[in-house]
Amino acid sequence: MLTLLVLTPLLGAVVISLVPARRRELQLPLGIALSAAPLGVAGAVFVSFEKGEGSFQMVEKMVWWEPWGISWHLGVDGISLGLVALTTLLFPLSLAASDAITHRRKAFVMAMLVLETGLIGTFLALDLVLFFVFFEVILVPMYLIIGIWGGERRVYAAVKFFIYTAVGSALLLAAIIALAVMHASQSVEGALSFDYLALLDLEISSTAQMWLFGAFALAFAIKVPLFPFHTWLPDAHVEAPTAGSVLLAGVLLKLGTYGLLRFNLTLFPEATVSLVPVLAVLAVVGIIYGAVVAIVQPDLKKLVAYSSVSHLGFVVLGIFALTSAGLQGAVIQNVNHGLTTGALFLLVGMLYDRRHTKKIADFGGLASRVPMMAGFFLFMAFASIGLPGLNGFVGEFLVLVGSFPSLPAYAVVAAFGVVLAAIYMLWAYQRVFTGPLTGMANRKLVDLSPKETAILSPLAALVLLLGLYPGILLDRTAPSVEAILDRIEQTTDYQVPSPGRLEDVFASGSGDGEG
Amino acid sequence: MSPGAFPDVAWAGLAPELVMVLGAVVLLLLDVQVKPGVKVLWRSASAIMVIALALGIWQWIVTEPGGELAFGGMLILDPAAAFARLVVLVVSILAISAGRSLFVQLGNRAAEGLALVLLASAGFVLMAASQNLVMMFLGLEMGSISLYILAGITGDGVRSDEAALKYLLLGAVASAVFIYGVALVFAGTGSLGLVAIGGFLAQYLVLSPAVLLIGIGLITVGLCFKVAAAPFHVWAPDVYQGAPAGIVGYMAAVAKVGGFAALARVLLSGFGTFRADWALVVAAIAALSMMVGAVMAIISTDIRRLLAYSGVAHAGFILTGLASGAPGSPSVWFYLAVYTVQLVAAFSVISAVGGAASSGSALSDYRGLYRRSPFLAIALSVSLLGMAGLPLTTGFVAKLGVFLQAWQHGLQWLVVVAVLASAMAIYLYLRVIVTMYMHSPTTDDPVGSDRPTFWALGFATAVTVVLGVFPQPLLKLVESAIYL
Repeated sequence: MLTLLVLTPLLGAVVISLVPARRRELQLPLGIALSAAPLGVAGAVFVSFEKGEGSFQMVEKMVWWEPWGISWHLGVDGISLGLVALTTLLFPLSLAASDAITHRRKAFVMAMLVLETGLIGTFLALDLVLFFVFFEVILVPMYLIIGIWGGERRVYAAVKFFIYTAVGSALLLAAIIALAVMHASQSVEGALSFDYLALLDLEISSTAQMWLFGAFALAFAIKVPLFPFHTWLPDAHVEAPTAGSVLLAGVLLKLGTYGLLRFNLTLFPEATVSLVPVLAVLAVVGIIYGAVVAIVQPDLKKLVAYSSVSHLGFVVLGIFALTSAGLQGAVIQNVNHGLTTGALFLLVGMLYDRRHTKKIADFGGLASRVPMMAGFFLFMAFASIGLPGLNGFVGEFLVLVGSFPSLPAYAVVAAFGVVLAAIYMLWAYQRVFTGPLTGMANRKLVDLSPKETAILSPLAALVLLLGLYPGILLDRTAPSVEAILDRIEQTTDYQVPSPGRLEDVFASGSGDGEG
Repeated sequence: MSPGAFPDVAWAGLAPELVMVLGAVVLLLLDVQVKPGVKVLWRSASAIMVIALALGIWQWIVTEPGGELAFGGMLILDPAAAFARLVVLVVSILAISAGRSLFVQLGNRAAEGLALVLLASAGFVLMAASQNLVMMFLGLEMGSISLYILAGITGDGVRSDEAALKYLLLGAVASAVFIYGVALVFAGTGSLGLVAIGGFLAQYLVLSPAVLLIGIGLITVGLCFKVAAAPFHVWAPDVYQGAPAGIVGYMAAVAKVGGFAALARVLLSGFGTFRADWALVVAAIAALSMMVGAVMAIISTDIRRLLAYSGVAHAGFILTGLASGAPGSPSVWFYLAVYTVQLVAAFSVISAVGGAASSGSALSDYRGLYRRSPFLAIALSVSLLGMAGLPLTTGFVAKLGVFLQAWQHGLQWLVVVAVLASAMAIYLYLRVIVTMYMHSPTTDDPVGSDRPTFWALGFATAVTVVLGVFPQPLLKLVESAIYL
């Protein structure tokens, strides 16, 4: 089933390539329909996912490049499940919001579908080379999407994006090779292996763990992006077309946090424990820095872009809190951020399609002209700030609760990030949508079309659903998160401080925030 | 073998080379006697190559794992030689197909050009199959001299003359250095056969190895000249830039196959016992080549100089695999096979865009190539992405193989240098792709490509992608078959 999930979008791209170029009107609707197919498969995966299971499910393994022990090895667990579902959801929506792309539309739809295959594959790959292949292949369609269909400085942004991420993954490849060779020297048969599950059994010395952790963490920190590796992000987000920004923020950034969670924590537990302060500092700096920079942005899209730096800082803090609640918060915040920021980028894009500007100063008092749009924007802004009842609250609250037992000082500083988020989001809302209506162009604005409402509604519904009943996701992630913490406790001297584990919370009878 | 007796020749084993050499002679005679049209000559040359390839495949199948000595021990017909021959032949066929317009433009010199291609291919195959250092030199010269002439064959333009002369002079120096090294090795071991040298060194402890080490060093330097590894690469950008576009890719590719095959043979089977002495030197050359190649390519504004410098970087990657001293160095063979195909494909596009006999190709000529010819733009992109080592192209598999091999043999630092260099190199290939896809063209004239070019590029592109996704067959081939 997972192979099917990975390959459906690719198949879709092949189908699109067969559509004759002159049938332009077919290309986008067909693309949307084809990207809905993986959504269906992902739904089936979600439904058949066993809740109480912490290990990988629906595992598929086939020999791929035999001499080097590389296999086509896929599996899903609580950590990847939500991200896969999010990916498959955002693709049809962002394709549907791509009416503005008229130039070389067929190539655009194909690039999007190839990108989808790459992203799903990265989340499901259980072989490090397979993971690396998907991780790298994503760069090409994303690079084209930014560089061909982007804004004015698109080429600069595309090249910067490509180079940052390519440099990061260079050392990742070296580290992956190191692991495979280590496997060859430790296993009985002396065979190379890139299998994640086999590599978990390696005995890696503390120094080697540090180096390898560093190489993996650098690649992922650039993707997240963690301060100070974030400078590619504002350029890429601002120059990318709407669909590109939605997917960059919604899914691509999650490759970084997913990678840290999946590989760094489990493969290098000792290094993880000793490097917690470094990562936590970077995360907290990112939270505050991203928020402060977002406040002063004159460009609405850039503001949302910088808010991502801040939000993903929370995710990283949650990961390195190394507590149940922290990790749970990180996993769910990954999904939350994809939903809310995706929606915000869609809204900014819809605004841009109407006014061809993203400058906050060009707007004012729009709420009276476009009440629906204003309503959605405010709703998503509240979700992004973390208003209780919406999904952002669940994620950030869990992260803060989770980091308090292990990293109290960091948690206190990070909490200011929530306040700052309220400032930049609400201030932006105020300047754009409230007050007296300014400017002739703004008077002619039209409100959301039914189609646009249909694009935003599922996101809003999920924001509310995850806010009111986060258990739908948390129940599925809990066993996987506990498995990671078990592994860290077993392989190192580290003990998760009480009340950091799920059982601590249940034992004390106060289930706050556990959904 | 008594003196004067005719040595034992493995005629069947050398059939492909015999076909090529005799074919070259027949072409020249035909040209003098019958004066057929260029098309006929081109078809005959292609047919000769295809026959040679068929014989080469047959030889690959029947070759014993250990190989057999031929020509009184001058040549060794083992899987490595058979594989190098297949690579050279495939590359030659691609180059002749894509270079048809060059031979048409050569007019009454077409027969010479085609004969030289056949002779160069035969020369480098013999070089790859040499078991004796003097035979290696003969193969090297047979190939190189043909290439010197090919570099200047259009005979017009200062650039082309400069390229030919520079190639000739520096190539001659390299040959001299090589043969001096051979002399010193002979002085040190009393033998010219690689197997005999290897046996001698395994059996006796050389107490004062200075002469021998200098000899090994000079041979290595001479061959590094041929494969354009830094710091012996300075000729490459000028030659790549000046020589006619239709043939440059071929020249670079076959010289690399012959050079690296010889280097692998000399270092691994001849001086394997001295690995501790040469590994660090080769590793240093590799590191320098990768860095110099990547940096210089980034600042090039001519696509051919860019590819020349990227070729220097690739020489570094291949040397990374070689420096590991792994038996047989399978990753090196895989790398050679896939890189040469990409190289020929890239130059075929350059030849289609700039004209087959042209010298110099400014990067700005490629602005908006995607709109002028989507096919050429895609073919060039795939071969560039392959050179960049992007996953799902053969380039990634090749790099992964080299890195794995080097890491397994204790050259971790070199692998780190290599991954950083390949990250840098991505930028330079990207520059070309950006130019083709994201800049608007200066002219809207469509660029055509003739049918043979179309097939050659289609084949190279398909190989780069299909073997990039499923490298299993080729990987197994090199991993299981080649020992040195």
